[in-house]
Amino acid sequence: MTRFRIDLQDLLFGLFLVAVATGTLVATRNLTVGHAADMGPGYMPRVVAFALMGFGLFFTGRGLWRVRVGIAPVQLRPLLAIVASVGVFALTAERLGLAIASVVTVILASLATREGRIVETIAFAILLSGAAVLLFVKLLGLPIPIWPR
Amino acid sequence: MDLFNNLLMGLSTALELNNLLFCLIGVVIGTAIGVLPGIGPIPTVALLLPFTFGLSPASAMIMLAGIFYGAQYGGSTTAILVNVPGETSSVVTCIDGHEMAKQGKAGTALAIAAIASFFAGTMATIVIAVLSVPLSVLALKFTAVEYFSLLVLGLIAAVVLAHGSVAKSLAMVLLGLLLGLVGIDVSSGVARMTFGIAALSDGLDFVPIAMGLFGLGEIIANLERPAERRVVSQSIRSLIPSREDLRAAFPAMVRGTTLGSVLGVLPGGGAALPPFSSYALEKKLARDPSRFGKGAIEGVAGPEAANNAGAQTSFIPLLTLGIPANALMALMIGALMMQGIQPGPQIMTEQPKLVWGVIASMWVGNLMLLVINLPLIGLWVSMLKIPYRLLFPAIVLFCCIGTYGIANSLFNVWLMTGCALLGYFFIKIGVEPAPLLLGLVLGPQLEENFRRAMLIADGDFTVFLSRPISAVILGVVAILLVALLSPAILKTRKEALAE
Repeated sequence: MTRFRIDLQDLLFGLFLVAVATGTLVATRNLTVGHAADMGPGYMPRVVAFALMGFGLFFTGRGLWRVRVGIAPVQLRPLLAIVASVGVFALTAERLGLAIASVVTVILASLATREGRIVETIAFAILLSGAAVLLFVKLLGLPIPIWPR
Repeated sequence: MDLFNNLLMGLSTALELNNLLFCLIGVVIGTAIGVLPGIGPIPTVALLLPFTFGLSPASAMIMLAGIFYGAQYGGSTTAILVNVPGETSSVVTCIDGHEMAKQGKAGTALAIAAIASFFAGTMATIVIAVLSVPLSVLALKFTAVEYFSLLVLGLIAAVVLAHGSVAKSLAMVLLGLLLGLVGIDVSSGVARMTFGIAALSDGLDFVPIAMGLFGLGEIIANLERPAERRVVSQSIRSLIPSREDLRAAFPAMVRGTTLGSVLGVLPGGGAALPPFSSYALEKKLARDPSRFGKGAIEGVAGPEAANNAGAQTSFIPLLTLGIPANALMALMIGALMMQGIQPGPQIMTEQPKLVWGVIASMWVGNLMLLVINLPLIGLWVSMLKIPYRLLFPAIVLFCCIGTYGIANSLFNVWLMTGCALLGYFFIKIGVEPAPLLLGLVLGPQLEENFRRAMLIADGDFTVFLSRPISAVILGVVAILLVALLSPAILKTRKEALAE
């Protein structure tokens, strides 16, 4: 039955590369390729995309063929919390100002682990927010509003 | 004497008051980062890049370099006291260093690590200075053809000597090259792969990519495997090593420094390979190898020296040829480019003050490390008590603000979010992200030089082989690639890089 086992690591990497290569070829389909002595803007992207496609197919093939290498199970809690906290920063920083965005970001990020204690987290978030405002806006002059406009 | 004059000029730059200050800030931040497990030097340097924009190029490089070798040093403190490597390069120090700490000799181990690091740092500074002159003379003969070949060599060698599967690393380099192509094409002014997003027309900023891939991705993965940290609770009594300790450690230091200096110059070697090789060497040379793993002082002195020497000599390709040896040096190149300095073979002749200032500052910085760190050891130990649950949200926040600050662009924050997901994906499927960063930083130069070379040669690919310097460089590339296919070497490489 070994023939039906797969190497998930290789397979996923291979499929990822194939997807990137395909995307590149589609995205650059209208660029002039030119020739070696006078390369158009599409020359290098094409070359790299074809090479990536080659690697992608190789890994996909090897992944399907080789003995299984498992992947550690994905834990959603850290993944979602970190990504959400950064996303929320991107959404709020310019609208609500750095002070509020920082507090929300830190609290959301803290949710990535179960170890957090509510009071400690909130106090720490406010402290960090103050430090960030002082350091980045007051000291380094980052042009970002501190409070909602 | 040229070398002497150059070093003097470098010292005069390094000893300027503001440069001394930035060197100090660099080594202190570096040590702090090294001490704290869970965040490596790459995200740290990326995080601090925006701060350096207001500085002169020399000050910026001096500070960033300080962070790097400071982090190498700080990692050993954690390794000795907690048995957790602060940096990958300190893995070996854990073995005998922590054993010494358990035997009540934590102070001796820390002091030996500091002395070995300083000794190696001093020697490596001299190696850099001596090697720089002939290399820069050679570099002046370079045209687009040679430089393209050199870039290829840099990329391939970095892949060969780095961790992980070679095929996967090559694919990652290509992926990085592709990302480096995003933006307006310099020759034709046509937008490539920008998908109509204005923020992409200048190309992808590598700081959000580095922070997402190395910083956030790693934090997510770290949170999945909660590690407990236990500081050796005994107080650190005597920091002064005995005469016998020094006598046992000194030859190991010298060997470690030599090994580290050689391995550090090789692309991709950086700081990971030298300590492992040094440890193996010391064990082989020891009269009683069974002492290793039970608190042998040579097992701390050798790898620590090798580690620091390697960290410093990995600057040689960057400072003389403008080619980064590893992902961290790629970030340094990025810092230079943001300062408006085009890295390349001409860097030494065009920016002598910068290059020699950085070289001289390394020795100054190593001296600072020795002076600040031993008395402050208590402070570093107390830093170890900061719980990770507080540390990582702070890092996340600073990553957000830092990324935003590079171009005051929220697009970069979103880009970092995407790269965090990507970095997590790479960790899950066991792919090293470092080659991607190299490809990303070198991509634009690679394309530019390739196009220029082809334009000169009228599309004739043989030009890379008909020019002698380029032919030699490509010959080395070919040897490396052939060697890779040889199963014997593959096996040795696997053993050498095994952690």
